Amino acid sequence: MVAQTSSISIMSHGEGDASVREPLLRACAVTVDYPGVRALDAVTLDFYAGQIHAVVGENGAGKSTLMNVLSGVVRPTSGALVLRGRPVRFFQPSDAIRAGIAMVHQELNLVPTLDVAENILLGREPTHFLGIAVDRNAQRKRAAELLEMLGAELNVGTAVCDLSIAQGQFVEIAKCLASDARIFIFDEPTAVLGEREAQRLFTVMRRLRDEGCCVIFISHHLDEILTIGDQVSVLRDGRLAQSLARDAHGVLRDTMGSPADVGSLAKAMVGREIGAIFPPKESATDLTAAIELVNFGLRRESPRISLAVAAGEIVGIAGLVGSGRTEIAEAIVGLRQHDGLLRVHGREQRFSSPRSAMRAGVAYVSEDRKARGLHVSLSSIANMTLPSLDTFSRMWGMRVDDTAERTTTQRWIDALRIRCARPMSPISSLSGGNQQKFALARWLETKPKVLIIDEPTRGVDVGARGEMYRIIARLAADGLACIVISSELSEVIGISHRVLVMRGGRIAGELSRQQLLLSDCQERIMRIASGLPAESEQRS
Amino acid sequence: MATNYSHVLRDTQKWLERWGVVVAFVALFAASTYKQGFDFLNPENIRALLNSNAPVGILAVGMTLVIISAGIDLSVGSMLVLAGAIGMTAMNALIEQGSGQWTAVLLGGATTLLVGVAAGSVNGLLVVFGRIAPFIATLGGLAAFRSMSLAIADAGEIRSQSTELFGVLGRGGIPLPGLLNAGGKALTISYSTVLFFVAAAIAQWFLSRSRFGRQLVAVGANEIAARYAGISVSSIRFRVYAAMGLLAGIAALVQSSRMNSVSTSQLGLGSELDAIAAVVIGGTRLSGGFGRVWGTVFGVLILGMITNILTISGVSPYWQGSVKGAVIVLAVLVQRSSRN
Repeated sequence: MVAQTSSISIMSHGEGDASVREPLLRACAVTVDYPGVRALDAVTLDFYAGQIHAVVGENGAGKSTLMNVLSGVVRPTSGALVLRGRPVRFFQPSDAIRAGIAMVHQELNLVPTLDVAENILLGREPTHFLGIAVDRNAQRKRAAELLEMLGAELNVGTAVCDLSIAQGQFVEIAKCLASDARIFIFDEPTAVLGEREAQRLFTVMRRLRDEGCCVIFISHHLDEILTIGDQVSVLRDGRLAQSLARDAHGVLRDTMGSPADVGSLAKAMVGREIGAIFPPKESATDLTAAIELVNFGLRRESPRISLAVAAGEIVGIAGLVGSGRTEIAEAIVGLRQHDGLLRVHGREQRFSSPRSAMRAGVAYVSEDRKARGLHVSLSSIANMTLPSLDTFSRMWGMRVDDTAERTTTQRWIDALRIRCARPMSPISSLSGGNQQKFALARWLETKPKVLIIDEPTRGVDVGARGEMYRIIARLAADGLACIVISSELSEVIGISHRVLVMRGGRIAGELSRQQLLLSDCQERIMRIASGLPAESEQRS
Repeated sequence: MATNYSHVLRDTQKWLERWGVVVAFVALFAASTYKQGFDFLNPENIRALLNSNAPVGILAVGMTLVIISAGIDLSVGSMLVLAGAIGMTAMNALIEQGSGQWTAVLLGGATTLLVGVAAGSVNGLLVVFGRIAPFIATLGGLAAFRSMSLAIADAGEIRSQSTELFGVLGRGGIPLPGLLNAGGKALTISYSTVLFFVAAAIAQWFLSRSRFGRQLVAVGANEIAARYAGISVSSIRFRVYAAMGLLAGIAALVQSSRMNSVSTSQLGLGSELDAIAAVVIGGTRLSGGFGRVWGTVFGVLILGMITNILTISGVSPYWQGSVKGAVIVLAVLVQRSSRN
């Protein structure tokens, strides 16, 4: 089915009006293999000048890998890139930049202390006096021209550190323009932008398109894709699942000719069946709330949420990146300032640090395993016992009982079936899945009553995912209250008793256990997460 | 074949990264023995070598812990002179008031240690609550603590009023049974050397076996991850600077007792650099998160032997700094090459 649609999409380019022109850039049967995972599987895509080409897909569908191939960060295992009809090979990002492909990064690569004009023309300053002195006037004039071309109203003399994130992005784009880039890749630029700033960015993107550039745009927000994309490619599990183009009337249609809407896009994105990797859901028996948030928020004026999780219950939290899921979790365990009421087993609590949360039986497993969840340079044992070190301490902390440490680590290695031959070696030598098991086990050793686990399977290969789900289900069956935060819809749906959907720091919707059994629940979550009305309301 | 070779090369580098400091020590020891023969192996010479390097060694032990926490303490030399100056002033005041020798020396010694802890705590507070980079906070201490001690004695020397008792710590020692020196008297291992080794042993124990040591390494390796793991980062960092202050106080006692005076303009001058150099030679990572006190002990001895061998070979003292500098850079080169 998947292979069929991709071959059809290639044919349709052959017949459609777009093919009259030659593509500016073509990815030809690009395959990328990572250890254990095929991130991209023979993806063929054409990118035309004067078009905004949107690429969508679930996390892990291969969008970022594709963009990394186009921008020279990743070399494809097989397949080729064809630029203006000539095959090209990029060995490093600078090769792609020289070829006119610019990646507009979320994290800005600007020099904060220099002004806008200096940043835009960094490394290509106009000079006079035989090239000795920078021609400030020419520099400012040229920078202003570029910004004008983008329709961005910015004073070229402003220091970059005084700009907003969106304005910084404009400077970044102008900088790419100055380097004669013709292909612009935007990797989820709106994730860090507010609504008004996002609209301004879209204006700039349209302007770039009208100037004859090719704009490649990645976003999770399907409504954005529908309004701005001239061409939409849907990736799923590393393959091209669906290809959409605008017809003569400006209506976005898929290869079968039916007009696209958010629903059909979401369906194309998540089309896979939820397989048997998810364990059966045991009912929570105890219905008293283990953890309860009442009007809980980050700051006095920020949005509030209320939720209660019973012992033995798994509550999934879905939502787009930036919807405030991680922030709330970090606020609960005292890693962020917070306001509002928090009760653990009926007792009001206010945690100032993960340490105080741990004492009250609340554990948080971070989404960022490498930088926050684990100490990658330390051994598996040291990582394993770090949060619960007090229980291994003898003689007022003067001695850590290393025999007990080893026994405990071995117990968890057996219990969670962690593949770890040498617990004394740095934990970085383990695979992502085994690292993640340790990241979880170190908190289970503190004997929590409430477990908040953020992106439990990020960077975890498929085999270990199923194990991770079974572990979480078993913990809940043993009476642990679990909050699972995840960007992967199939995951939250597959393991949770109910799912809360967050948007803009609020809980925008909830799906009950019965609703999670319905076939359209992924679409429903997508709709709630991106702020669209439910399908039933739309029809009426 | 080529891959085999590079494998061997990498293993050698790994091995050198771990044991290079011991190899360097043995090599220097052998070179010194070859050059000087019995003059070097003479127990009196070894005793003097250990004795003269003990104060910097005690500082370097504390510096190892500070650097493992991903910090640095530039103020150790100034803490040393301030603790020594105040402690000796207090002791002299007590003696002048007619207190007994023992009372005065003990109270003066306690004052020295307390001032050290207090100065270290100031550094800790600045780093933890002031959120000032350790380099800057202790750079302030480097200037301020020295200037305070200069002000106390008008940049001059404070002479001890205790003619006998106070000097025992710096000059006396524990007799080693069965060993005699050239004069036929029992050979002693000086108290200052004992203090150095005991401090190193305790610090090494704390580093590798205690809860504090584990958390210290975790904070140094990744402060954010340590916070996420429920470690009180502020408390760890504060304690390590306070411990550094205590060790500076001990070093101050040793130094002032040996001279039986405190020269406020000279004592401890530049010793922060020697201490840091010894830590680096010993294989502790300057970026934090990994280190060992026993390596630092070898680092101290290596620096001491270099000075010794250069002096005996008649190399001008003005050139000795260049040799030391080269050794430090070489140590870093050998130890970091395999990490990339």
